[in-house]
Amino acid sequence: MAGQDNRYEKARIIGARALQVAYGAPVLIDTDQTQPILIAAEEYDAGVLPFTVRRGEQ
Amino acid sequence: MSEIDYDPQQKFDGVDDDIEAVVEDTELPRRLKTKVYRTVDERGAGVEDADQIAKAVENRYLDTRVDPLDPVGTVSAQSIGEPGTQMTMNTFHYAGVAEIDVTQGLPRLIELVDARKEPDTPMMTVHLEDEFAENRERAHEVVWKIEATRILALGDISTDVADMLVRVDLNPDTLQERWPTVDNLAEIVGEISETIESKLGVDVVQLDETVIEFGPDEPSYRELLQLVEDLREIVFKGIEDIDRVVIRREDTEESEDGEFVLYTEGSELGNVLGIEGVDASRTTCNNIHEIHRNLGIEAARESIIEETMNTLEEQGLDDVNIRHLMLVADIMTNGGGIQSIGRHGISGSKESVLARAAFEVTVNHLLDAAIHGEIDDLNGVTENVIVGKPIKLGTGDVNLRMGSEPARTDGTGEGAD
Repeated sequence: MAGQDNRYEKARIIGARALQVAYGAPVLIDTDQTQPILIAAEEYDAGVLPFTVRRGEQ
Repeated sequence: MSEIDYDPQQKFDGVDDDIEAVVEDTELPRRLKTKVYRTVDERGAGVEDADQIAKAVENRYLDTRVDPLDPVGTVSAQSIGEPGTQMTMNTFHYAGVAEIDVTQGLPRLIELVDARKEPDTPMMTVHLEDEFAENRERAHEVVWKIEATRILALGDISTDVADMLVRVDLNPDTLQERWPTVDNLAEIVGEISETIESKLGVDVVQLDETVIEFGPDEPSYRELLQLVEDLREIVFKGIEDIDRVVIRREDTEESEDGEFVLYTEGSELGNVLGIEGVDASRTTCNNIHEIHRNLGIEAARESIIEETMNTLEEQGLDDVNIRHLMLVADIMTNGGGIQSIGRHGISGSKESVLARAAFEVTVNHLLDAAIHGEIDDLNGVTENVIVGKPIKLGTGDVNLRMGSEPARTDGTGEGAD
């Protein structure tokens, strides 16, 4: 659901993914980036990350 | 007003079924929808235009909404605090509207946020209805019903020590002026005599048309002086706490060619609202507790917003968003009464021990909590900062789940657990 995350959710998702990448998780896209956080951001923009935000009762 | 029984087509001629459908389809609140209807009606816009207007308003509305998890309280505190530092500290008094001295600037802001029982300079803005607002004489009738009339305004007092008598020489012109509805001078003097008799417990003798005389029961010099002293305090007409009323002709929303508005020094809203000729729907005072007592908590909330916003505006700090002040007013009033911000109010009555201890007198709070075996559930921000946990705000309150495939490909956000 692109564009549905607010800035805090986006930051949290990219942060969590960057940590995984930093620990050696396979990168899901082709990228020139070398820093985990930038890789994570690109993955986020590409929409390949398997994260969902639980917002309680919706 | 409930959503169901609102019918814009009844209120606005230029609104038809299609326009209503277009506008009702947006995510706007009722207030903004009504504004859109009004604009559409005034401009005579068609469905296409109405749709564009509604979409534009909706976009703007969604844009200015606060994100979930935003620390609104902190942002409000900063947004009010920073302009506060720019306020001139020594504007303790400043000639405000119509020569009445009103506390402004920082002292006024502190007064409001502290929810003081009595403002430093209480005042009322009294609006009048119908002919009272248009006719100067009639407006003056109301003035004399509000402004406290004491003996010094009515005539001269002299003491006759030899005969042990106090003589009051009333000024007939002033009497006529202050009792405009009574034609008979003798009646006014009689009324004054009665007031003196009942308040001081003496027998009043009328010497002349406007001269009255009285003295203590027993000849006593001290008693005589005491009588004069007490006489000065008696309020013959009007409301005791209101020392001065200023009358001004002003252009208002109600009437374009001006109407009379009264400004008072001192406030007693409860009594004033009952006076004939006073428009109770527009009359206000600057004492939030008085508004709460007479008009209820919603009015008090509204007046906190008004007063804080006006205080900032007077200092040229009007770019503070009103929603910050609304939040402050909400916090102060949501318990059903007015609570101050600070030790004796909000901060002092927090649930959490750690939050209270972080605010002031740390040791006492911790000691009391230990003695009574209090438990802290660690729900708030302050407590969690103290114990070193993530706070429930911003990124700290996002609950992430990870699945095994991209979360958003199917558009439903279902990523599997």
